[in-house]
Amino acid sequence: MATLEELQARITRLDDIKQVEKLQRIYGYYLDYFEYQKVVDLFSDNCESVEVADFGVYRGKAGVKRFYLDLLGGKPPRVGELSIGMIMQGVVDIDPDGRTAKGRWYCMSIEAKPTISLHEGELRQLWGNGIYENEYVKENGKWLFKKVFYFLNFRTPYEDGWLKVPVIGQHGSSSEVPPDAPPTNYAPYPSGIHLQPHYKHPITGK
Amino acid sequence: MNLEELEKSVNLMEDIQEIENLQRIYAYYFDLQMWEDIIDLFSDDAESVEIVDHGLFLGKEGVKKMYWGWIGKGIRSANQPWIQFIITQIGGVVDISPDGKTAWGRWQTWLCEAKPFGAFPKQEWLHGYYENKYVKENGKWLFSKLHWNNTFCSPFEDGWLKTPLMGLMNYHPTVKPDAPPTAFYPYPSGYHLPYHYNHPITEK
Repeated sequence: MATLEELQARITRLDDIKQVEKLQRIYGYYLDYFEYQKVVDLFSDNCESVEVADFGVYRGKAGVKRFYLDLLGGKPPRVGELSIGMIMQGVVDIDPDGRTAKGRWYCMSIEAKPTISLHEGELRQLWGNGIYENEYVKENGKWLFKKVFYFLNFRTPYEDGWLKVPVIGQHGSSSEVPPDAPPTNYAPYPSGIHLQPHYKHPITGK
Repeated sequence: MNLEELEKSVNLMEDIQEIENLQRIYAYYFDLQMWEDIIDLFSDDAESVEIVDHGLFLGKEGVKKMYWGWIGKGIRSANQPWIQFIITQIGGVVDISPDGKTAWGRWQTWLCEAKPFGAFPKQEWLHGYYENKYVKENGKWLFSKLHWNNTFCSPFEDGWLKTPLMGLMNYHPTVKPDAPPTAFYPYPSGYHLPYHYNHPITEK
């Protein structure tokens, strides 16, 4: 039979998974409502980076602020702008020391956004999909983001689909709020390139 | 609650978590086109696998025929351009048997696919339900039975009302199932895939 200490360790791991799942989902809900300061506050002060699609790499907490507050939140959303991101299918692994974790997620997006730039042009209705491979860190008993990485699979007009228009409205790095480094892995459909998972095969261990 | 009861509760929560991970990892491997890794998620004593109208495939041999022979076309972990299998896993209801050795899970799935039909690449929306069975062997959960019941497979341009099914997928020149599909009744048939669970309140 397990000892009390062993059971406590196992329950802590299960709790940690639930806390990380909640953090990731709450992140999604804040993004839906353009609440970028709240998003920034979900990141550790010692976070590594945020990288989304082809925007490039923004490093450190300063980079996180530039990305969410200055770039995405630089102008208020226009009337009719919609940004729903359904965060699904989390596979969360807590590292053995219980202080860091990794998670893989799908995000399915339903959007109404301008596609000429972040803020200009006609609103288009869009379907989007991508995969997160994120890292988390536990500080003072709370889980925070250490790293956010989003691999875009497609972002297509409602009328067209990924086969006809794999990506619309992504135009590389911003010149007004430039990233610290270019994108490290931007290869949407139909490239055939896939984002590899952080985890080993659960049965074979490979 | 004594230590023994507490351990049972922890076991149950861990089992559910591992099975949820197994099901989600299965779908990510499908997206990655890692067919051998999918086969390794099945028990050597697997009962069966059934997907859309491909038919019922029995045993581990059947699992290999389905994923490697039919769906994977015998191609290893290929980064094939133009092919896309985004297979989301939503709404898992996982029940562990009282002895903790087997389990059932129901899920639904929403797919954004692209693949060639004959000479032409096509894009399609799909929906379906899973009723899967899992088995714990050497402390690890594996699939013992997988049934993916297809609600629709519609061209992106048309939708499920206009074209519920893009075409039959029940023929392969060399790979043959052990039995015909057990429950292939796409929209608008009104077919309901039975639940593995009883009503949580009335228990009927």
